Amino acid sequence: MKPRLAFAVLALALLPLPAFAHAHLAGSTPADGSVVTVPPTHFMLKFSEAAHLTALSLRREGGGKAQKIAPLPTAASKSFSIIAPKLSPGSFSLSYRVVAADDNHLSMGTIRFQLSPAP
Amino acid sequence: MAVDIVSVTLRALGFAALFQAAGLTFFLTLFGWELNRPRPGLRRLGAVAAIAGVLLILAHLALDAPRMAGDFSGLWDGELQRLAWNSGSGTAALVQAAGLLGIALSLRRPGGVGARRAALCALIALGGFLLTGHTSTHPLRPLLAALLALHLLVIAFWFGSLAPLLLVIGTEARPLAARILARYSAIAGWLVPLILVAGLSLAWILAGSLAVLRQPYGQLLIAKIAGFGLLMLLAAANRWRLVPALAAGSPVTALRRSIGMEIALLVAVLSTTAVLTTYYSPH
Repeated sequence: MKPRLAFAVLALALLPLPAFAHAHLAGSTPADGSVVTVPPTHFMLKFSEAAHLTALSLRREGGGKAQKIAPLPTAASKSFSIIAPKLSPGSFSLSYRVVAADDNHLSMGTIRFQLSPAP
Repeated sequence: MAVDIVSVTLRALGFAALFQAAGLTFFLTLFGWELNRPRPGLRRLGAVAAIAGVLLILAHLALDAPRMAGDFSGLWDGELQRLAWNSGSGTAALVQAAGLLGIALSLRRPGGVGARRAALCALIALGGFLLTGHTSTHPLRPLLAALLALHLLVIAFWFGSLAPLLLVIGTEARPLAARILARYSAIAGWLVPLILVAGLSLAWILAGSLAVLRQPYGQLLIAKIAGFGLLMLLAAANRWRLVPALAAGSPVTALRRSIGMEIALLVAVLSTTAVLTTYYSPH
């Protein structure tokens, strides 16, 4: 039984109940953690695979409720360029949700950047 | 976010209901002909689990659009709902729901024919898992599908038989209950290594690296290993100590408690799997 027991314990480590493809953020403008001196006119998001951008919201750090950015493109793509709202200096969190085009698995993430006008 | 928590909870409960209903049909097919008293109770349990599974799976699917939107407003977003229902995940959920509905209907018919039909429907319900995920888009899909099917069948048989065993202990004559428990333990003992073979092969093909153990995905796997280790200890105690004790006339309390703990631990492992497959990827 001992070898069988050991096998079984190992098996759970490898339990492959459906794993899903995820679209990972491959790059963005503004970049995560960046400090920009000019307000961005667009948010650019690039993903590791084609995906549907299903939600995008912007929150000012220390501010109130997140602002939903809409409308969003309905077609799947590896990169998106979305018109940014007018921003005043401050720190921001841009949260996104994308759905992989191949199997509809949802991924989410947040890009943080700071708008600090040049002195 | 609230919508994510509700969604993953529904997914975990849906897993438990599906594996309970599917596994119970395998148990009925293998052991039903020997049973005297608990057959109506087992059929009722299977039907309830199957209907619960249908509702949970469809509710989870309906929440895909709100998850995409980030809040419950997605419930009323036709574009996102269409995206969710037309996806591979949507097809998988509908196949699972159809299989479960078939189980519930088949179990209305007493006897071996109803059990065998229900078992066929269970294969359909479990087959839904093959329609989505990494295995469905991989170049080695036929091999991965076979391995995944084997893996899911064993899990279903294992988990789905535990509640029926409790019912058997509670209602059948002691010698018959002990004999069925001993046979179940013997079969499960042979099937468990197949979980390893299928799991190891799938993991190797899909991930191909132990580096995944350093990520949240891997950390959740380690948590599952801990749970599974406990499960194996309980199963071993049942097989070599508590089942022989039952046959010898000892009280059933300890065995009942042990099987109850096994069910609770398996639900915890399935819940961890729900979190794992909802939020993380091995890549």
